[in-house]
Amino acid sequence: MKRNFYIVAALLAVLTTLGFAQFALEKSADAQAKAAVMAPKYEVDPMWPKPLPNKWHIGMTIGVGVDAQDHIWIVHRDNQISASEIESEGAAAPPVLAFDQAGNVVASWGGPDKQNPSRYSWPDSNHGISVDAKGNVWIGGNGGGDSHILKFTQTGQFIAQFGKAGTNRSVNTTGPGSNDPENFGRVAKIFIDNKANEAYIADGYLNKRVAVIDMDTGKIKRYWGAYGNKPDDTNFGNYNPDAPLIQQFRTPVHCADLSNDGYVYVCDRPNDRLQVFTKDGKFVTEKRIAPRTLGDGSTWDIAFSKDPEQKYMILADGKNERVYIMDRKSLEILTSFGDGGRQPGQFFAVHSIAMDSKQNLYTTETYEGRRIQKFVYKGLAPVTKSDQGVVWPTTTNKK
Amino acid sequence: MKRTLSIVAALMCLASAAMQGQTRGGPQAPKFQADPMWPKPLPNHWILGSVTGVAVDSKDHVWIVHQGAATLTQNTEMGTGTNPPTAEICCSAAPPILEFDPAGTLVNSFGGPAAGGDYQWPRCVSSLAVDTKGNVWVAGNAASPGGRGNRQCTNGSAGTILVPDSDPATAGARGARGAAGARGGAPAAPATPPPADAHLLKFGPGGKFVKQIGTAGKMEGPDSQTTLNRPSNVEFDAAANEVYVADTGNRRVVVFDADSGAYKRHFGAYGSKPDAAADLGKYDPNAPAKQFRTVSCVRIAKDGTVYVCDRTENRVQVFQKDGKYVKEFFVAKTTQGGADGGSAWDVTFSKDNQQQFMFVANGWDKKVHILQRSSGNILGTFGQGGRMPGEFVGVGSLAMDSKGNLYTGETFEGKRVQKWMNR
Repeated sequence: MKRNFYIVAALLAVLTTLGFAQFALEKSADAQAKAAVMAPKYEVDPMWPKPLPNKWHIGMTIGVGVDAQDHIWIVHRDNQISASEIESEGAAAPPVLAFDQAGNVVASWGGPDKQNPSRYSWPDSNHGISVDAKGNVWIGGNGGGDSHILKFTQTGQFIAQFGKAGTNRSVNTTGPGSNDPENFGRVAKIFIDNKANEAYIADGYLNKRVAVIDMDTGKIKRYWGAYGNKPDDTNFGNYNPDAPLIQQFRTPVHCADLSNDGYVYVCDRPNDRLQVFTKDGKFVTEKRIAPRTLGDGSTWDIAFSKDPEQKYMILADGKNERVYIMDRKSLEILTSFGDGGRQPGQFFAVHSIAMDSKQNLYTTETYEGRRIQKFVYKGLAPVTKSDQGVVWPTTTNKK
Repeated sequence: MKRTLSIVAALMCLASAAMQGQTRGGPQAPKFQADPMWPKPLPNHWILGSVTGVAVDSKDHVWIVHQGAATLTQNTEMGTGTNPPTAEICCSAAPPILEFDPAGTLVNSFGGPAAGGDYQWPRCVSSLAVDTKGNVWVAGNAASPGGRGNRQCTNGSAGTILVPDSDPATAGARGARGAAGARGGAPAAPATPPPADAHLLKFGPGGKFVKQIGTAGKMEGPDSQTTLNRPSNVEFDAAANEVYVADTGNRRVVVFDADSGAYKRHFGAYGSKPDAAADLGKYDPNAPAKQFRTVSCVRIAKDGTVYVCDRTENRVQVFQKDGKYVKEFFVAKTTQGGADGGSAWDVTFSKDNQQQFMFVANGWDKKVHILQRSSGNILGTFGQGGRMPGEFVGVGSLAMDSKGNLYTGETFEGKRVQKWMNR
């Protein structure tokens, strides 16, 4: 009888312990579920933009920017489209195009001033487009002799050129190069800081610096290299993922975007890293992305989410054909989407990225990708996969 | 499937007017709308090179063949497919022969060079056909020496892209890439050029090699019963168990037994003796060449007539199976484009018993024409140039399933297959 009592007591004890354990487990899982990592969710819109008018074709699409009207501006290389791509009734589209939210073309212009060719120097190779609060359109250029940037009105009227074409270090081989106080070296991107009336120049495909200019005069106010170092134009050879991290940017310095809280995020592309600075060029931190990527590298372009804290940063990687969604403060990659290919939601050389006020994303592709794609913002969702693959539209009823 | 269709239908609403063909008088031509979400994304970060063949089998499975690494840019497009790899995640060439089920899921993939050297995989695979027993036939039409880098398989103008393989603006920043060569920059021209493709391959169900007809580099002229010369197209005839080959370099159609591979017969343009050496001069729409200029397709209708595309002569010639000439008609007489041009790239037929309609892929003008088969009259056209769904870059091959859906393959930088739903 006593033995039975002990057995029952032992059983009860075990059951109670198990019960407590179960309760504890559920509590922990509950806590985990509540703390699930959230990230913006996207789905490609396969039918955006609408088919171009006039049987127009776009070439390498190497810049995208969104203006205050939520119009989406692109610049593409209209002069490098092969004969086999344009049908006899077709033509290359003008290099600068703007789309409205519905995907209609609402602006189309660009190129040299044919009437007065000396008025400004259209870039040898278009690269980068941004729109400021006044609606002015800024264009960079990464052609061999491109040492300048251009500013136009929305309708394509020339306003200003900053930097003199043909003065960079590949042309002026004994010149100041990355330390040039006036001219640039094959600019990749222009980021507008409307409040401070300054623009951050990712300078660029030849120079190894970020240069900050006055938006009205174009005067270079300050500039810096990797880690805040003085830029050094020595050729340090190719990126080696196993070598100590180099103290200079490798060209192209492909983005230099300013967050609301005053940090400059720089795409040090062939070095597969992002470097973060204060507005004055003081180095803060860096993050390596897919660090075994060679050639063109992994850090192509970024965009910030539209909440005031800009909690998320979206990074385009045109070598791994991927868009990463990162937590901006920690620089942790939360999730990613995309893959290689020519279907909607796939990429070949995803090059530039921008966000509209509704948090929709626009990506452009260079080389033979030659598209702009729209990814519709579907709100915040718990992260379930680090690689979502190709994000096609789904029904509202999930399986 | 139904759910997918309804999503796609919703998406198509806005764009349908832009993408549907304009029809003129005559029988009501079928209408098509591109399905942007077919096929489903490939696994393994696989990508396609130039797609050069599309076929539909008796289960409505869609087969494609593509040219893989020969048409992919090593240092930008296929970073995980180079040796050593230059990217961490993407991409590499899919196996050349791919089979999709009707929903667009990849269910089979094979092909490529033989590990044991049993056969010679074409340098530029040009076509595929699927017979009723599940055998797969492929042809190859690489020239020798051919192009370099990612342009090994173009003939001329399509390869005249105004920038080289890589972004010229970044070339300077990549230092010793080209010189090193090890990572697969454009290699130096080999001392001995690789031989031209001059052969067909037959694979059994499951991708097991069965037979090779012809030998790479061995071309013995247009009367040969054992050798070919850069064949561009292969078609299977179930009724007689024969394969028909568009034997481009020999300016002929040649027919073999599908089981033994034995030569059966051949014929040139107008049913005459093919002459591969004659100089045809420049294309003149008012004076059709007496030889095939670029024979690029052979398709057999249910009524036993044989349709032969002469791509750069912008025409289709019609024969009886024995090679007796019936007639010819022209697709788009003014189309040029040099060796990579022309308007008559491939043909397929509607699925009704009469096969009232035929569909012609016009790769240079970036369209598909819908013709009345009996008259050759063009009833409608769909597509335009571009990279969006419903647009074309180099639409060179097409096939239809039993429900009247069309599948188009795009070569050059198109590098995709699109499904066009029969509306």
